[in-house]
Parts: sequence; C-alpha cells; structure tokens
Amino acid sequence: MSLFPPVVHAYESPTRRDVRTPGEAVTDSPTRFLFWLLGKQAGLIVGGTFFGLIWFLPGTLSPYLLGRAIDLGVTQLDMPATLTWAGLLLFVIVAGVSCDVLASVFQISSWLDALYRITKLVARKVTQMNHVISRRVPAGEMLSVASSDSDTFGALAEVSGRALAALGSFAFVTVLVLHESTVLGLVVLISAPVILGLSVPMMVPMQHNQRVERERSSVLTGMAVDIVSGLRILRGVGGERTFGDNYARQSQSVRRAGVRAGYWWAGIQSLSTVFTGLLLVLLTWLGVRAMLAGDLTVGQLISFFGYAVFLQRPFNTFFEFIQKWVSATVSARKTANLLREEPPWRSPEDPRPWNLGPIADETSGFVAEPGRLTIIVAALPDESAALADRLGRYLPTSSGPVESAHEDTPARGRAGRAEARAKLAERAAMAARDEARANRHWGVSVGGVDLAQIPLADLRQHLVVVDAGAQVFAGTLQELVDPHADHTREQAEHALWTASADDVWEALPEGWQGRIDERGRGLSGGQRQRLVLARSLLLDPDVLVLVEPTSAVDAHTEARIAERLPAARAGRTTILTTVSPLWLRHADRVVLLEDGRVVAAGTHAELMASDPAYRAVVVRGEDTVPPQATPPDHPDQSSRHVFADLWEGATTRD
Amino acid sequence: MIETVPTPSPEVFEGSAATWRSGDPGTRTGAALMGVDETPRTGLRDGIRGFWANQRARRRFSEEAFASSRDPKLGLPVAGTPAVLSFVGGMLRERKGVAIALVLANAASGVAGLIVPRVLGNLIDEVTAASATSAIMTRVTTICWVMVLVLALQGALYFPAKSLSTVMGYDMLASAREHIMRTVLKLPLSRVETASTGDLVTRVTRDVGTMAGSVRWALPVFTISSVTAVLTVGALILNSWLLSLPLVATTIVLIFGVGRYIRHAPKGYITMGRMYSQINSGLTETVEGARTVESLGLDERRLARTDRDIEQAAQTEIYCAGLRYQMFLATGLAYQVPLVLALVLGAWGYSRGWVSLGQIAAATLYLQQLTGPLENCVQTLNQMQTGVSSTSRLLGIASVPPDRTATDERPQGDHLVARNLTFAYREGRDVLHDVSLDLVPGERLAMVGPSGSGKSTLGRLLAGINAPRLGVVEVGGVDVMHLPLERLRTDVALVTQEHHVFVGTIRDNIVLAREDTTTDDEVWQALRTVQAEDWVRRSPDGLDTMVGSGRASLTPAQAQQIALARLVIADPHTLVLDEATSLIDPATARHVEGAMSALLTGRTVVAIAHRLHTAHDAQRIAVVIDGRIAELGSHEDLMALGGEYARLWRAWTS
Repeated sequence: MSLFPPVVHAYESPTRRDVRTPGEAVTDSPTRFLFWLLGKQAGLIVGGTFFGLIWFLPGTLSPYLLGRAIDLGVTQLDMPATLTWAGLLLFVIVAGVSCDVLASVFQISSWLDALYRITKLVARKVTQMNHVISRRVPAGEMLSVASSDSDTFGALAEVSGRALAALGSFAFVTVLVLHESTVLGLVVLISAPVILGLSVPMMVPMQHNQRVERERSSVLTGMAVDIVSGLRILRGVGGERTFGDNYARQSQSVRRAGVRAGYWWAGIQSLSTVFTGLLLVLLTWLGVRAMLAGDLTVGQLISFFGYAVFLQRPFNTFFEFIQKWVSATVSARKTANLLREEPPWRSPEDPRPWNLGPIADETSGFVAEPGRLTIIVAALPDESAALADRLGRYLPTSSGPVESAHEDTPARGRAGRAEARAKLAERAAMAARDEARANRHWGVSVGGVDLAQIPLADLRQHLVVVDAGAQVFAGTLQELVDPHADHTREQAEHALWTASADDVWEALPEGWQGRIDERGRGLSGGQRQRLVLARSLLLDPDVLVLVEPTSAVDAHTEARIAERLPAARAGRTTILTTVSPLWLRHADRVVLLEDGRVVAAGTHAELMASDPAYRAVVVRGEDTVPPQATPPDHPDQSSRHVFADLWEGATTRD
Repeated sequence: MIETVPTPSPEVFEGSAATWRSGDPGTRTGAALMGVDETPRTGLRDGIRGFWANQRARRRFSEEAFASSRDPKLGLPVAGTPAVLSFVGGMLRERKGVAIALVLANAASGVAGLIVPRVLGNLIDEVTAASATSAIMTRVTTICWVMVLVLALQGALYFPAKSLSTVMGYDMLASAREHIMRTVLKLPLSRVETASTGDLVTRVTRDVGTMAGSVRWALPVFTISSVTAVLTVGALILNSWLLSLPLVATTIVLIFGVGRYIRHAPKGYITMGRMYSQINSGLTETVEGARTVESLGLDERRLARTDRDIEQAAQTEIYCAGLRYQMFLATGLAYQVPLVLALVLGAWGYSRGWVSLGQIAAATLYLQQLTGPLENCVQTLNQMQTGVSSTSRLLGIASVPPDRTATDERPQGDHLVARNLTFAYREGRDVLHDVSLDLVPGERLAMVGPSGSGKSTLGRLLAGINAPRLGVVEVGGVDVMHLPLERLRTDVALVTQEHHVFVGTIRDNIVLAREDTTTDDEVWQALRTVQAEDWVRRSPDGLDTMVGSGRASLTPAQAQQIALARLVIADPHTLVLDEATSLIDPATARHVEGAMSALLTGRTVVAIAHRLHTAHDAQRIAVVIDGRIAELGSHEDLMALGGEYARLWRAWTS
C-alpha cells in the first residue's frame, strides 16, 4: 500500500526548477487516454479479477454442491456423505466471502488510484500552466475534471476488474450447466441476457429522467447557495417570499422528475422480479418432466434454480461496464483536452541571469530606478494594471470569460459537437497566439536585458507583481503571511505591522495559529488587502510591483501604511500604482500615464506644482488644492472621484 | 505630520511568541498529520499489529473531525436526534394514508413472492413420491399455470409498491428541503450579518444532499426490506421450524458484526466527505489563485497541499474500508452459512421423517431470498444514520433564537437618534463605548476613522441590525428593535458593497422590500430613477428576463443599478452606506453616479467613508476612534479643532 495514493510526477513547470520524471497522460484520443489510465491500474485490476473469479465460486459451485449434497447425502439418508458435501459447501462459502473482501480491496484501490491520479495530474497541469491556464480553460471545467470526471474513471477502473471476473465465471457456469442438462442449460444461459434485454428499453427513459432530475437538482442546489450568499440582502432588504417560492417551485420540479424516473425504476424492478419467477416456473416444469423421464435428479433441479438466479449477476456487470465505458469516454475527451494544454514559454536560447538594473518598458516609456519607490498614476486603473502585467512578464488578463467546450446542456448531438469543435479550435488559436507572444522580444528590460532572455523561474523569484486580484489562501495566519515558512516571527510581525494588518492578528484568539477561511471569507476587503500586502513585504523580493495595494483601505490606515512601507522597503526597488495623495508624497518619483504612455514624471510636489493634468487625476479635478471646504462649482467628470461629486449633486439638489 | 516609527512597539504583538510555530509544517505528510505510521513492517504478525495501530489512529482522527464538524466555531447550532425523529414522525403522520398503503402493498407483493418456493417444494415432494407419470405431469402443468398467475399478481402488486415508495420518498424530501429553506429565510438578521456563510452553504448543499439520499432512498428501502425480511422469516418458520433454526446464528452474527460498523462508520463517512471537500476547496483555491500561486512561487506548496489532502482522504478511505470489510466478512458468512446448517439439519430431519425434501428445497430458496432484504437493511441503516446527523444540522438552523420582539408601536416621523450605545461581539470586549448620535432628518453625515475603530458597528446599530448591549436606537420615538423587519426596512436601510444579483427575473430582484404590493409601474419607475430603464427595455423579456449566476450576465454597473433600484422600492428615509462606494469600479462609476445621487436625494444619509472627499463634502463628520466619537462637526469645525481629522486632511492635500 506504499504506492497508495499514487505518486505522480508530471508536467514540469517553467517556473519550477527541479526536473521531474515524466508521467504525462496519453491525450491523443479519448480511447487511448482510457487505455493509458487503465494500464496504470493494470496490477490492481488483475488482482481484482483474480479474487473476483474466486468470489464468484460460491455462486457457481454452491448450487452444484447443494445439489450433490441432496442427491448423494440427504435422499440416500447418508449422513457422512451429507456432511462431506456440506463441509465442501462451507469451505467454498468461506473462501468466497474472503475473496469477495480481497477482490473488493483491489477494485476499490483501482478506483481510488484512478481518481487520485487524475486529481493530481490536474493540480500539476494547473501549476505548470499557472496564470496562462485561465486564458484557456474555465475554472469550473478544471475543477469538474478533478472532482467528478476523475470519479467516472475510478468507477470504470473498478468495474473493469469485476467485468473480467464476471466473464470468467460466466464461461465456467456455461460449461457446468451444459454438462448437466443441455435443455435446462440453454434455458438458463439464454434467460439471463433476455431478462436484462427486456429491461433495457425501460432503462433509457429512466436514465433520461434521472439525468433531468440531476440537472434540475443542481439548479436547485445553486438556488440554495444563491439564497444563502444573498441572505444578508434578503433579510436586510426583503424578498424572502419571492425567493422562498422560487426555491419551492424548483424543488417541486426536481420531485416530479425524480418520481417519473422512479416509475420506470419500479417498472424495471417488477419486470425482472416477475421474469425471474417465470424462469423458475419454467425450469420446474421442464425439470419435473426430465425427472419423470429419469434424466434429472432432484438435486440437479435445485442447483439449476441456483444457476438461474446467479447468472443475472455477470450480465448486470457487463451492462454496467458498457455504461461506465460510455460515460468515461465523454469524461476522457474533456480530461485529455485539459491535459493537452501546454505552457507557452520556451527556455531562452541565450539565457541571461537576473541582474538588477533600471527597469524599462518600451511600450510606455516607463523607467524605474533600482532601490527607489516609483509610483504610477493613471486616470484609468486598467492602464497601470496592464503596465504592471508587462513588467512582471504576465500575458494580459483575458478580456472575456473563457467558454467551456464541454457544456452538454444547450446543444446536443451534431450541432453541439460542431460547437465544441469550434470552441476547441478557438482555444488552440489562443494557445498559438500566446506561444508567439511569449517567445518573441518582450519589450521590458531589467539592466538592459530583455525579460524574454531571463529564465522565467529566475525572474519570478526576483520580481514579484501583486495584482489587484491577489488571492488569500485558507490556512493559519502564519501560513498565509509566511507561506514558505522561511522567516522569523519578528520579521513576520514587522511585515504585518508595516501593512497595518495587526488588527487581524488581534482579532484571532489563536494568534498566528488562528485560521483564515478560503479566499479570506470572514475578513473585510481591507483586511484581505492588507494581509496580501504583508505577505508580499515578507517575501522581500528585489523588485516588488504592487497594483492598487490599498484601494479598499480607509484613509487613516492608508496614511499609516504609506508612512511605514517606504522605510520597510528602503534600498529595495518598489513600484506601485495608485492615485491617492497619501501615497504619492512618499514616492521618490511619480510617473503619469495617459493613453498607455508616460506623459510626465517627477516628485509629487513638482508634478502638483507644474502639471494640471496630474492635479486633475490626483485631486478631484480642481485647479488648486482646496484650502477650505467650498464645494466646487463644476462637478468633476473624472470618473475616479465620482462619488464625492454625486454626493454634492445630491446635496445641492435638496 | 504623523511621525515615522521604524518598528512596531513590543506591546502590539503581546504574547505572539506562544502562537508562532517555527520549522516548516508543510513538509509533514498527510498520514503523519493523522498519526498514521507508514514505515513498512516486516513479517505478517508485525504487519497486522501495525495495521490495527494505524486503524486506531485513523479512528481518533475521524472522531475528532466528526466532533469539530458537529460543533463549528461561530457557526449555527445543531439540533438533537429527538428533534430529528419528531420531524420525520411529523412528516410521516402527514402522509399516514400513503405510508400505510406503501407498507401493505409491499407486504402483499412480498407474500405473493413467498408462495412460489413453497409450491415448488410441494411439487418436488409429489414428484419424488409419484408413480403414475402422466397424471402427475398434467397436475404439474396446472400448478405451473397457477404459479404464473401468482407471479402476474406479484408483478401487479410490486409495481405500485415500488412506485409508492418513490413517490413518498420524493414528496418527503421536497417538503423537508423546502421547510429548511424557509427556516433559513427566517434567520435573525443579526445572526445573518455576523455568521460566515460557509457553514450555511455547507448545510444547504452537502447536508441537504445527504438528507436527500436517506429520505428518498434509505428510508423507503429500509421499510420495505424489513417488511420483506420479516415476512420471509415467517414463511421460513411456517415451512419448517427446524430448518429455520440457522437464523438464530445469523441474528447473532449480524448483531455483533453490524453493530460495530454502525457505531463507527457514520463518523468515518462524514470525515471522508470532509476530506474530499477539502481536496476540492484546496484545488479551487489553486485554480482561482493561479496567478497568485505563480507570482509568489507557491506551486510546490499548493501541490504538496493537494497531495496531503489526497493522502488524508486515502487514509479515511482505508479506515472506512477496514470497517466495511470487517462487516462484509461477518454478514457474508451470516447470510450464507445458514444454508449449510439448514442442509445438515435437513438431512438429519429427513432421516427421521420430520421434514420432506420439498421443505428442504423451499428452505434453501427462502434462505437465499432473505439475503437481499437483509443486505439492504444493513446498507440503509448506515445511510439513515448519516441522514439523521445531517438533518440534525439542518434543523439546528431553526433553533437560533429570534433577535427582536416586535411590538405595536409605530414610529412618528423620521428622526433617528442613538443614545448611549455600548456593544460587544464577544463578551467582555466592548467595541463601542457609550456612543450617542442625534441625526438631523435630511442631513449627510460622514463617519471616518481607522479600521477596527467601530464605525461599521455603529452603522449596523443605527440600521437596527444588531441590538446594542446598553442604550437604544430610536426612530420616530420607537426602539428599532421593536419594529417588525418588514417595517424597519422601509425606515432605515444598510447599503453595503455587496451587489448580489439573485437567480430570478429582474422584477424578482427589485421588488424585495415590498414584494407583495409592488406594481410593474412602480418597478419601471424605480428603474427610471436609477437610469436602468433603457437596458431593461432592451432585454429580451423585459422585467421577466432571467438574471443571476448562470443566466444572462449583468455588467457590474447594471448589478449596482439593480441594487439601488431595490432601495428605491424600499424607500427608507434613512440610509447607512457602509463602504458602499469604496469598491466601485471606476470604469462603471459613471453609469452609477446619477443613480446613486437620485437615491440619496431627500434622505438622511450616514456614510462610512474611506475617501476623504466624501467626508469633506458632508454636512457633519464624525471621527470614530477606539469605539468613541472623538470629533463631531463640519469640515471647518474639525479643521479649526486641529485634531485627528485635520492632521489627516493636511496629509492628504499637502
């Protein structure tokens, strides 16, 4: 069991240094992918098959032994013979039950092996692709591959062992029954697939309704989550009845679909019960005739009852295998498409090591001197964010949401397949564009060396960009602030204090071991932002690029952070984007960005004195710093401070 | 000027050393964290001993995880098992007719099924005793036809029996989950605002899912199977009391084998469920935070986290499998060994002339028929247990005590006043100390202050969300906590940065506060007020257009307009804006500007402000520091005072 869960090495990342043993999946076709995956489970499946075969023994042998015991023991009044046959029967039963357990151990292990393997491969693919993956595959699709498609593969791996065992036992029973009586044997052999075949037409509508129920039920769950996430509004503003009723309506439609599926299920169950009973009657009738003719003994007849009941099992298993194979093929297509994605970065042909120097962006004309605090001011935050992305060698954040190529709801059949193909082609085109962009001259240089020439891992280690959407990960406060666990408590506390995030520490009774929920749920936007800042300060990279680091923080706290950060980053290179004057006073140099180009640069005081455009962006569009609180005559149209103005608008309208 | 302090004063992090863990906890494996020793053992005896030691460690882990899932910190309460039983009992009483019909139909179809083996047994007896072959064959044929009729009857009964069980299961499930959602929608407002949504989301998704499994499937199957099992045992005894003696052994083995499983398994399975959602939430964080993972170089850590989560899931799988296989061994033997015993007893009885061959044949068939219902009982018993524990968590939501008692008093006028408010979230830690504030109707008051100063808390008390520990908030002379919620919403509203758009029509999303009385004209009027009329008119179904997650997606500006239109419909005279404007995307602000100003017109507004312009333009500014209002007055007043506000303002504008 030392290999359980499986050890997976795959998808070496360009930002990771170590070289890993390749364990990549075969992704050229769904079928080949499934064979690759089942091949990984070969040992477990063979083990499951072997013990599964023995497990079927009681099913195959015990009717025979029972019949022998009755014919040679009971009817002959021969107690020792009865005991011998009964002893054999007991042995077979005990062996069967033990092998049932062993087979199940193998089968469940192969299930979990497949499940864990796929989850691990997805995790590795995501960390290999990193930010690029969000340009190609929607998050929901990656997560559903990791959690639900992986389970489909597990189910297939599990049923594979059982299906092979069923095949073996079916062959064994065939020989046995035909040997005992040709007519009865044929009846038994034919009846099992016939009973299964009769239920298939009813299974189609049942499964259709089950699918409808599942779909509606997931909508229902979505509604419940929706209500709970908006519960503050529903309880604060109102609307409990409307959304309570909407939920109830959907709940009833789930119920109806479930009941419809239930009717078909009841039909299948009754049918198979009745037909099994009819089979027993038919066997009795034929058996009695054979007995009267002297061709069959009582014991043999009783053992035929056993075979008739037993044979339905392997056929059910075959049927299960086919169903699982079909749904695994669908999952395999989706999974293979995800795992086939490749990062666009290639290692530079003429790699140059990181060497800190002036940082220059060709597109905008932006330059930052090492060891200084440079602040980028732009009327449109998107412009400064785009510059920050370029500085960190990130592909631009994709404009629209990435569409899933595997949605099975809107269009099924040929139209759906065509749509999926089109989306995949689009995805491939995007990959080609990314690759082209990633490997030509990047246009940002550090110390005169273009970023494309610096190995990505090297660059990421020395230059850190904290974007506006930076995430907080669940765990203890200590893990959050010091994720690499390579700093002292004093350093961490200094970082927390610099980011003015000590209130988070104080609010947690367990201090550094206090737990932070996923995505920082339970923290305010400002607290989250300050923790992100503290984390990046503790990392202490050569160059730190911060995008709007205090946009959700109140003015008091922002002023405090702006005081403390320059001292903490003294001698290091820091670039940040903001328009808050509380920050700008502390900058060594401020650059003003307009339409993506640097139009002015200098200290805050110089720009305030000399540049009206700068003043317009930074101080509410007035030409002079307001000496007192006189409302401006012309409401400012710069979007940044719109709320101050509408506030006035409302006031004046009174 | 605020003085630059280079390092935090020591008292900031007093006692933090005790909570800091040095060393890297991330390097420990999932198994090691659970206390499972994975060093390979040599020799069978050592191996078995090691397995049991590890199994005990896994049990401890599952018991701890289960205990913490039952008692979530800060979460909602959990009801006891008696509450669950009376809830289920109540639902059954409401459906007394169906429940009785269900049991009767199943019993009847079960009896029909039990006749067949008995008749077969009789036939065999007659045939073995017979001499006149042709006469007996005619009789056999007749009996066979009778049995075909019996089977048809059984099928005819079986179908309604199974269908009824589905209908009733789905019906009970639907009303249970609708009941739960109605309870959720009645949660006290103060509880909704403070509790994290995570616990509630888990309850309405996972717990409802588990409950669904047990109500829809386990409960009916258990009922039917126990009825069938009892009937089969009855038939077995009627057939021959001697041959039913082996059942005593079955019962004993079942009680011991299953009892142990039933005690431990639910905790194990609940822990397992938690482990899988841990894998998923970890992976979700990695996927959604791919960019952060890349910029901080956390890829190895994230992979380690996923691997560790998988390993813990695998360990709980091993634990549960261990429990399961112990039970399988016991039950497998309990079901099948009686066959051998019956055979030996039969042989002995037959030699004495106490039982006939036919009775032996019927007994073996009955014993085989008993396996199915017994297996079902054991399986469903386990699922029903987890169902009970989930239902108790769901019913726990109902046990939150109400936070306000409405009286008949109705406010006279729009005057909102707070007198001597003291408030604490946790006992002994007051966050507001004796705060009084008298709002002039129609005024704009800004609250500023550092984070954690209590300004948001004050806003919530003013909006009547939480009750102060001491003191009172009155609107028009009436304590806000004495107003029914429906009335309070139309007097005071808290506006936060949340713009949740619910899944539903645009109308549903707007009429919230007056959902029963709002006409379409009023909705259009509200949309016109927030300048959203145009795009709603252009939407495919106008007010009936479905919006919310998974439907037509709205731009952030449209979502904000919807949120504002809700407030126009609610039409409160006082608005408390909590950071309502701080996270607004400047790119969309232009569209929302007019809407916001239209909403504020003619109302009293308390704005918790992050940006100083907002404060500057208000008629009065309250500076909240350490849970007290430190400064209160107009901008000029406060500038003249030369306190905290004046210092910050100068820092801003210098």
